[in-house]
Amino acid sequence: MTTSWTIFRKELADAVRDRRTWMIALFISLLSGPAVFLLVSNFVSGVEEKVAKREVVIEHAEYAPTLVNFLQRAGATIVPAPQGYRDQLRSGTLGNAVLVPPVDFEQKLERGEQVAVEAIFDDSHDKAQAVVRASIRLLAGFNRELGTQRLFARGVSPLVLAPLEVREVSLAPSQARGAQLLFIVPWAALMVAVFGALSVAIDVTAGERERGSLEPLLANPLSTGAQVLGKWGVVMAYSVVIVVLTMAGFMVSMRLVTSETLSALMQLQWREVAIFVALLLPFAALMAAINMLAATFGRTYKEAQTYVSYIAMGVQFSAVVPVFLTVRDAPWQWFVPAIAQLTVLMRALRGDPVGTSDLVIPGAVCAAAAVICLALQARLLKRETIVFARS
Amino acid sequence: MIEVTHLAKSFIGRRGRAKTLVKAVTDVSFTALDGRITALLGPNGAGKTTTLRVLATLMRADQGTATVGGFDVTADPVAVRTELGVLSDARGLYTRLTARENINYYADLRRVPGGECASRLAMLAELLEMRDLLDRRTDGFSSGERMKVALARALIHDPRHLILDEPTNGLDVMSTRALRRLLRHLRDQGKCLLFSTHIMQEVEQLCDEIVIVAQGRTVAHGTAAELCAAAGTDNLEDAFVQLALEARARESGAAQPVEGHA
Repeated sequence: MTTSWTIFRKELADAVRDRRTWMIALFISLLSGPAVFLLVSNFVSGVEEKVAKREVVIEHAEYAPTLVNFLQRAGATIVPAPQGYRDQLRSGTLGNAVLVPPVDFEQKLERGEQVAVEAIFDDSHDKAQAVVRASIRLLAGFNRELGTQRLFARGVSPLVLAPLEVREVSLAPSQARGAQLLFIVPWAALMVAVFGALSVAIDVTAGERERGSLEPLLANPLSTGAQVLGKWGVVMAYSVVIVVLTMAGFMVSMRLVTSETLSALMQLQWREVAIFVALLLPFAALMAAINMLAATFGRTYKEAQTYVSYIAMGVQFSAVVPVFLTVRDAPWQWFVPAIAQLTVLMRALRGDPVGTSDLVIPGAVCAAAAVICLALQARLLKRETIVFARS
Repeated sequence: MIEVTHLAKSFIGRRGRAKTLVKAVTDVSFTALDGRITALLGPNGAGKTTTLRVLATLMRADQGTATVGGFDVTADPVAVRTELGVLSDARGLYTRLTARENINYYADLRRVPGGECASRLAMLAELLEMRDLLDRRTDGFSSGERMKVALARALIHDPRHLILDEPTNGLDVMSTRALRRLLRHLRDQGKCLLFSTHIMQEVEQLCDEIVIVAQGRTVAHGTAAELCAAAGTDNLEDAFVQLALEARARESGAAQPVEGHA
């Protein structure tokens, strides 16, 4: 233990003096996580504003005064379609549908014929989707109002057309919709745990080999296990700092969010932060161990970067899996690192209850895997092919 | 005392895609006594570094035995490492730490008490003329400065045995002199010193015993005068060349007579 502590102190002093390592850590934790957060919230509030404004874009509004009258009564503002609106729709600068009534709109309406009104939009722009839907809903409202009037005029109850009354009772908690969009927040937090201390993990392993300090170090009467433990401690300490900084960044960003809907949709209070930290720390412990193990095979810093990038790719891939799973919260998910963390984090953000086992099982799996990685690394350091390989 | 008996070590090498067995050491035997400076003299690729790595317990021998201070390198590696100070081929220092921090790190790892460490460091800094270096970060140190720090680091726990792999490589005259002075000082304290080199001048100036290694084998062992007498030459360089060439001829099975002079 004394040996591990000595190595920990030395590696910490060494890492703290490496300005590049700090720059990367600060960049990842303070910038990327909250930056993603702010982008998402900006996106949501942008959509909200547009939907709230209830703008309806019409080409040749003068052809359809009845429709315009309805829309104005419904609280919508009529905006004439700009020149070249098709290009604007495609490029996303016009994030709405453009309604195009035909020149004989009123005449057909009067004769009781069906009138075709084109709604032109490009819904490949995510931001436009909600606004387009709102415009089309207004048209449906016009349909309903006029249809009902006509049925009344013929002495028929409008209920004839609606034999079924659909009452929607959503069981999703109030935050659920937000969490779908905010998958990105736990994902970013997870990536911070993967990448945050990567440079330290490589420096204490492949870096030691590259600068030729591994051979003299191993000539000391120390167990390789104690060495690995001390070095892992430093990588872990770095991860802890970065995870905490990232969560602080999230909390600060949350305060800056202007969108009330978003604040109401996404739960990120002290309870959620505690769940994030409880899930991310064991995961960071595993990432530290597995990255160190992979980097041990590298003879140079650069070579080690290649090896750890395989791991980073694997984690990034598996982190996306829960999004596409049709079965939510299947038991096996609790036993797969990255997937387990993401699943539980998303539950927390959705406002679903998170129990002790949701934290303990993923944590225990990570801890066990970390111990295995560290033990393997301690054995590797006894191999001549690792210490002296073609050096 | 360091004793090596019939040591052999080979590696798996690669020639293109094919794996080949590279015999680094085939049969090395010698004894390095306490209070003596013993040189392992040999051309490049003779197996000197491999022999020292086996002694430092960083590699396992395929055959033969080696003991340091009576401890077997295979059976009791931790005791051997405790006995030894090693200036390895790789001098790797931590460039973000100062020279003093580099040395103190090893003192802490070897649990040298603080007071003892400080007085030893002061003594070593005096002998190696490196007092001005102590509180500078080692980034940008010259090879001589790096060697001094690495040597102080290897000696901070006051080991009874010291092995040095080509210690004078890349050193200027002043640094070489400081090194010689330190090694003589250690010898006079009764320590066992073993170092590898291919520099004749170094051996003549410093060594009490010379072990000539060539083609992975010990080909001769004795004082400079004894080696010259055995080879029938009047200087060590000629003796070395003759003995090393004889070994090469024996190894390749050539029947040609070996020239007596270089």
